[in-house]
Amino acid sequence: MDDLMVKEHELPQRIDTRLWRRIFGHARPYRGSMIGLAASGIGMAGMDTLMPLITGLVIDSIVDQRGGEEIMTWWLLYLMVIVLTCVIVWCFIMLAGRVSTGVAYDLRTRSFGRLQELSFSWFDTRPQGWILSRLTSDCMKVSSLMPWFMLDLFWGTSFIGGIIIAMFLLNWKLALAVLCIVPLLVGTTLYFQHKILRSSRMMRRTNSLITANFSESISGIRTTKTLVREEENLGEFQELSGDMHDWSLRNSLQSAVYLPMVLSIGSIGVGVALWRGGMDVQAGGLTLGMLIAFMQYAVNFFMPIQELARRFTDLQAAQAAAERVQDLLDTEPAIRDSEEVRELVRLAAINDPDAPEGWDGGDQRIERIEFRDVGFSYVEGEPVLEGFDLDIRAGDSIALVGATGGGKSTIANLLCRFYEPTGGGIFFNGVEYRRRSLHWLRSNLGVVLQVPHLFAGTVRQNIAYGRAGVDAAAVEEAARRVDAHDFITGLEEGYDTEVGEGGSLLSTGQRQLVSLARAVLADPQIFVMDEATSSVDTETEQQIQHGIEAVLQGRISVIIAHRLSTVRNADRILVVDRGRIVERGTHEQLLERQGRYFQLFTRQFATP
Amino acid sequence: MSKDTITFWSLTKGFRRRYAAALGALLVSSLLLYLVPLVPQVVIDGVLDPEQAGRPSVFVRLLVPAMGGAEFLSGALWVPGLVVASLSILAGAFTYLRGRWSAQASEGMVLRLRDRVYDRLQHLPCDYFDGHETGDLVQRCTSDVDTVRMFLANQMVEVGRACLLLLLPIPLMLLIDPWMTLAAVVTIPFITAFSLLFFKKVRSLFRLKDEAEGRMTSAIQENLSGVRVVRAFARQDYEIRQFDARNATHRDLDYQLYALMARFWSISDLMCMLQKAIVLGVGIILLVHGELEIGSFYFFITAVTMFIWPVRQMGRILSDLGRATVAFDRIREILGVPVESMSEPIAHAEPVGSGIVFDGVTFSHRESSPVLHEVCFAVDPGETLAIVGPSGCGKSTIVNLLLRLYDYDTGSIRLGDEELNGIGRKRVRARVAVVLQEPFLFSKTLRENILLASPSAAEHEMHEATAAAEIHDSIQAFEHGYETAVGERGVTLSGGQRQRVALARALLQVPDILVLDDALSAVDTETESLILEALRRRHHRQTTIVIAHRIATLMHADRILVMDQGRIVQHGTHQELVGVEGLYRRLWTIQSPDGKEGDGG
Repeated sequence: MDDLMVKEHELPQRIDTRLWRRIFGHARPYRGSMIGLAASGIGMAGMDTLMPLITGLVIDSIVDQRGGEEIMTWWLLYLMVIVLTCVIVWCFIMLAGRVSTGVAYDLRTRSFGRLQELSFSWFDTRPQGWILSRLTSDCMKVSSLMPWFMLDLFWGTSFIGGIIIAMFLLNWKLALAVLCIVPLLVGTTLYFQHKILRSSRMMRRTNSLITANFSESISGIRTTKTLVREEENLGEFQELSGDMHDWSLRNSLQSAVYLPMVLSIGSIGVGVALWRGGMDVQAGGLTLGMLIAFMQYAVNFFMPIQELARRFTDLQAAQAAAERVQDLLDTEPAIRDSEEVRELVRLAAINDPDAPEGWDGGDQRIERIEFRDVGFSYVEGEPVLEGFDLDIRAGDSIALVGATGGGKSTIANLLCRFYEPTGGGIFFNGVEYRRRSLHWLRSNLGVVLQVPHLFAGTVRQNIAYGRAGVDAAAVEEAARRVDAHDFITGLEEGYDTEVGEGGSLLSTGQRQLVSLARAVLADPQIFVMDEATSSVDTETEQQIQHGIEAVLQGRISVIIAHRLSTVRNADRILVVDRGRIVERGTHEQLLERQGRYFQLFTRQFATP
Repeated sequence: MSKDTITFWSLTKGFRRRYAAALGALLVSSLLLYLVPLVPQVVIDGVLDPEQAGRPSVFVRLLVPAMGGAEFLSGALWVPGLVVASLSILAGAFTYLRGRWSAQASEGMVLRLRDRVYDRLQHLPCDYFDGHETGDLVQRCTSDVDTVRMFLANQMVEVGRACLLLLLPIPLMLLIDPWMTLAAVVTIPFITAFSLLFFKKVRSLFRLKDEAEGRMTSAIQENLSGVRVVRAFARQDYEIRQFDARNATHRDLDYQLYALMARFWSISDLMCMLQKAIVLGVGIILLVHGELEIGSFYFFITAVTMFIWPVRQMGRILSDLGRATVAFDRIREILGVPVESMSEPIAHAEPVGSGIVFDGVTFSHRESSPVLHEVCFAVDPGETLAIVGPSGCGKSTIVNLLLRLYDYDTGSIRLGDEELNGIGRKRVRARVAVVLQEPFLFSKTLRENILLASPSAAEHEMHEATAAAEIHDSIQAFEHGYETAVGERGVTLSGGQRQRVALARALLQVPDILVLDDALSAVDTETESLILEALRRRHHRQTTIVIAHRIATLMHADRILVMDQGRIVQHGTHQELVGVEGLYRRLWTIQSPDGKEGDGG
């Protein structure tokens, strides 16, 4: 994980051309716009080169006292160049907009689609915020860089080329003299661009640390107060804000040096032009107007160099982001339907147009689930389950009990195929579940998690989440079955009450009830529940209990249980410890045995 | 600290001289920048093309002799060349100084502002935080401060620069030719008005786009945090469709923004270049009529190029000014909130009495209905008091009052012989340790988190505390043990683990009073009973208040208070309370292991 974090703030030394070629490949659908951008760049450079020439020509025709008509022609030409320039400006901004917004949209769509397929083991090792910024800031950086890079690459090189050609055509000796400043310009620009890039990165990094510190201080304000940590916290914060001060000062100073410096170098070019060019004018080898054009070119020379350098440092700066975006797109989901299964799904859809979505043509009804010699480890070499066997028949309810970390949740995760066994297999009606489609399995699965998750939206939308297009009556029926109807109608807007992000406007108990109703409405064949131990008061807890019972009726259920009544009503109770079943039986049988279960059970109330 | 209404002017205190210096440097550099094009002008008019029609401008008459006279110059053109280069370099030096001083001033001011906001924030009373969202506060402290910073560092100087660049050449230009001067500034009011209107308009579109982006981001976020639900219900396609709609809306708005930008830049470019064309056109006419020299003509063109682009920026700067004012007001709002009184400076460690008396305490948040009614109870030193009751019954309020996180005004609370309001907040908090239901750990190592309040504790003391909190073994099992980092960049601890770390932190304080505010709810029952036993065995028997839902957690307390709707409805020992009809017995029956499970609630 550390690597992931460090990478964001380090600068790559070289530009990875292979990576960028792939990234620019994402602009293929906008090829026309990209070509348009290149053309705009060249056109713009043409205008920029013409402008000083026209000014010079105007002056010359005045000096030579040629007629007013000719001068007016030059002036009209100048007007045309202006209008053309503005049209080009309009074009390239529109084109850049099309490419940048289009590529961002495509990258986000594809990344989001990929996220829907990736397995949980991938999510486990990456913080949410990290994934989020792949789809937001990284996609934005990459997509907004592309059109401008394209434009400036063509504009910069053609402008430099244009100036050089124009100068050589006018007076090659003077051109050589003025061009002496170019190596100086390039060197200075490269040096400072790199420095400025680095310090602005450090600024951003320190800034994000400051933001993190602020949000931590605010969320932890009670802890700070109760531990009397105000002074120490301020001390730590001042270190950060001091760093921020130093970096942004450094950044400002670098910019403050850079621009005057290139302008001064440019003015050396102007000086040289004035000196040598003036002599040429005296000798009659150069007109006054062309001298003025020369000086203009010398002043402008730094612009394309600066822009080009900036675009290449942009590439450098965005390289890490590009890598991350490309990585995400390249990641193959560890758990997905195999080629054969996908073929089966295709066939099933052709043979039976009314078949449920994603069905693979196998048995619809689940009669039996078997875990055969299942082994599993999250990290290689640290098995969580070994040689695990379990046989579940239709209508069974199984309770898993045992200490935290014993492997209960792993069993549930494997059953849902959130993870796949690393040894042995899980069979549905005798068929290994990796030969059935994921969609079929998940459509028949109801899961209520320890921390119930609701989506921002109304209560109704949340209950209806598991089944598209159900009517209001069905939603209310489901809510009634889990005893949630009364509390919902008691809410300000009943079923249309907004639950807030993650359900935060409801209490934990209410969230549990809504998630139970959601599970009932989905009407799954298998019901998996990771029972909550979270703190709800005893009477709410009892209400939830009734809800759970309503959900379990008549289905295969696997419950990770803490509450007595759930355990008691299960057909079979498995005591899991260190990845193995150490005891199994009904509540009464196990109590009689006075073993591990008895211990666990009486612990809660026994007087030590 | 107490009177803290700051103004923009007071913010600049201590940096005004630097700003003034920056302004001076700006003036010098702008002057020099205009002198640079003057040199070629006088050389052209005075040396290279002296015989052309028209009268020589005042600069030709002044500057040509200054550089050695026309005769000399025509033989030594390197002199004006050198003058151009040196003037630019000098101008560059002053530009640098301007940048340096204004950066020093603005960064210094922002550093002070940041530290001040942070310090203020930490001393605000808790109810301020109840009424404000964390996200909003963080935004004020970070991006609003940054908006002010950008304004101080860039825009403020930029305004000055634009004005100077515009105002300085006007006398110069007037000296050369009044008609040309008029031609050179004629479009400026239009450009300014246009850009001002544009940036006003674009801001509303920006807001729309930001909102669309926010909706798109929250769609991703929701999908990520609900990933298990999405998979479990096989609703990926629905999620993709939903995201796609928001993604597309965002794209369309973003594109609209580009289109608007395209219009602005092309039109304002056109206006700026038209300004140059006007100068060119008028210049040509005057030249043809022999009323202007070529050199002066060159000067006008260069000057227009120099001031026309900053003028275009004015609209943007003015609209930024509006934004900076709003941001500054939002920061000022925080700085204006009164802080918790931290009156007497008594030394930290002095113990407080460990007996607690609540006498007729009634408390309400702001104007709402009271959360505590006439609460009376007493706890003797060393006793354990348990409090139970449904959520929202006022249990946690008792804790908050005890820690002086809120101030009571009706009734009396005494620790030992002292009235709580008379004991310094810091002293109370140093001696009363609390473990919250959702304890907060800082992103530091586990060791640093545990040692937060007692940095000088010895290793063995820390181990004793973690052992009593049943977390020592779990910590040892981590790859880096006590040096394991917590939070985004480190391990994610489970709720139970966090609660136990916080407990160890509290125990290490060796407090006079220990409060467990539903602090073991996420710990499994087996571990919980081990912890409770360890607490009972500790040498230093502090007064303990335990708030919990599980009867098993409470039953061994010396006394139990049962609360409902802000009142104490029952009190006594477990045995006594089970013996009488009431809320406690009802809870006991529901949770009882022998199966008598009420009659269905």
